[in-house]
Amino acid sequence: MSSTVVSLIQALASGLLVGGVYGLFSIGFSLAFGVMRIVNFAHGELVMLGMYAAYSVYLLTGADPLLAIPIVGIFLTVVGAGLYLVVYERFVGKATLQQLLVAIAISMVIQIILQMIYGPETRGVQSVLGSQYLIYGPFFFSYGQIAAFIVAVICVGVLELLLQKTRWGKLIRAVADDPEAAEIVGANSRAINTVAFAVSCCLAGIAGCVLIIYYPVNPGTGMALMPIALIATVIGGLGSIKGAFLGGIICAIVQQLTSTFWSPALQDVPLYVLLLVFLAFFPFGLLGRKTAH
Amino acid sequence: MTLLTVESLKVGYGDLIAVRDVSFTVKPGEIFVLLGANGSGKTTTLRAISGLIRPIAGRIAMEGEALGAIKPHAVARLGISHVPEGRRIFPNLSVDDNLTVSYLPTRTDKSLRAILDEVYGLFPRLRERHKQMAGTMSGGEQQMLAIGRALMNCPKLLMLDEPSLGLSPVMTDLVFERLEAISNQGLTILLVEQNASAIDLATSGVILSNGVVSMAGDRAALSSTQYIQKAYLGV
Repeated sequence: MSSTVVSLIQALASGLLVGGVYGLFSIGFSLAFGVMRIVNFAHGELVMLGMYAAYSVYLLTGADPLLAIPIVGIFLTVVGAGLYLVVYERFVGKATLQQLLVAIAISMVIQIILQMIYGPETRGVQSVLGSQYLIYGPFFFSYGQIAAFIVAVICVGVLELLLQKTRWGKLIRAVADDPEAAEIVGANSRAINTVAFAVSCCLAGIAGCVLIIYYPVNPGTGMALMPIALIATVIGGLGSIKGAFLGGIICAIVQQLTSTFWSPALQDVPLYVLLLVFLAFFPFGLLGRKTAH
Repeated sequence: MTLLTVESLKVGYGDLIAVRDVSFTVKPGEIFVLLGANGSGKTTTLRAISGLIRPIAGRIAMEGEALGAIKPHAVARLGISHVPEGRRIFPNLSVDDNLTVSYLPTRTDKSLRAILDEVYGLFPRLRERHKQMAGTMSGGEQQMLAIGRALMNCPKLLMLDEPSLGLSPVMTDLVFERLEAISNQGLTILLVEQNASAIDLATSGVILSNGVVSMAGDRAALSSTQYIQKAYLGV
């Protein structure tokens, strides 16, 4: 095999693994938008909060971040429900600019609080998985990334199953389609929105747990992650869960290819080009719903 | 004995008053029509009953109990079902899912399966399409679904906002014929229509014009031409 082919396959496979995690935090962002039409620009900070939470569990108990998923997931679920009821509920149905400003304010608050607690330094965990590699011929993959990918796929599968098959999942989809119509058939849209937003934050927390395995965190990490969720969601189609997951994988593959064949410093450039192309020519994305309400 | 009482209802959107003074009562088992031209306040009246918009003044009571400032889902749980203007089915849900999300177990002893069977019995076309995404169906089929969905919570009162709007005459006849069948099972119906042929269906009703009741009476009184002329043409 020529070295170019090896690099290509390596970039595609690494992109797929990293992309699973991008997809995982993008679906949370997409869920909040799809159900409540909230553009939650604080989603990256919520992922970061999950990373710090997993880091704290690791500091206190030495537990691997993968084992911290249940407790961090519950923590972010509670944070999400609280955030929705105290802040975001007031901005459902309001102008996007208002939502944006509120979300930016929330993200600043989260950043500042985390900076006060943990300081500005970059912090990581010594995960057994993060430092070991699966080597297969000329290819190598971090066990941490493999584990993260598996967790992401499980989460997306479970979420999709819940949305399609359970009563609450169907109610969430009904509210996403038409909140007023859902109310008049007896659905408490406030309760349903709270659950949907809490689930969105729970997914951010789980994404934080798997990210911290191989990606150290500092108070600027949230801001660095947010554009990826946004771009993944636009590529996949606003409000589509499967689309956001697919979009996350595409983003990561594009990054890996760029950094392998061009320069790691430029890995985000094609992402923004993709964002512009999709916004201009394919506003519904790959799997977006064309029936607006 | 009345099922629904609306007294001196006044509703507006900001400075615009859509309903100025509307009173009527609906008795159990009847088909009551709310007739009127565009902009006469029919839809707003239904939206006020459903809790979708807060009245400025007036009283709405179900079986003697004032509804007060309760949320639309609480109104639905009291047994008032609303088939809204424009149908408003959930386009990205299957026909089955549109119906199952509207089932309220607290309202009835019947199982979900049993009520689904009743609705599918009433509208066999929906059963044929039960797996289809609701948004891909024809207007008439969507109207059937909207009515079926409203029946899922075993209502005491079924309110329909212009179910004939945008339907072919054949489909309109079919929908009206189904409404009669539903009524014959004892369900009370409050029907909002611009289409005066709805009078043939009615036991009684009112004619609204410019947010006030201009005429009230039984079917015979409503069908007298001068009433209709007055309401629609203002002569």
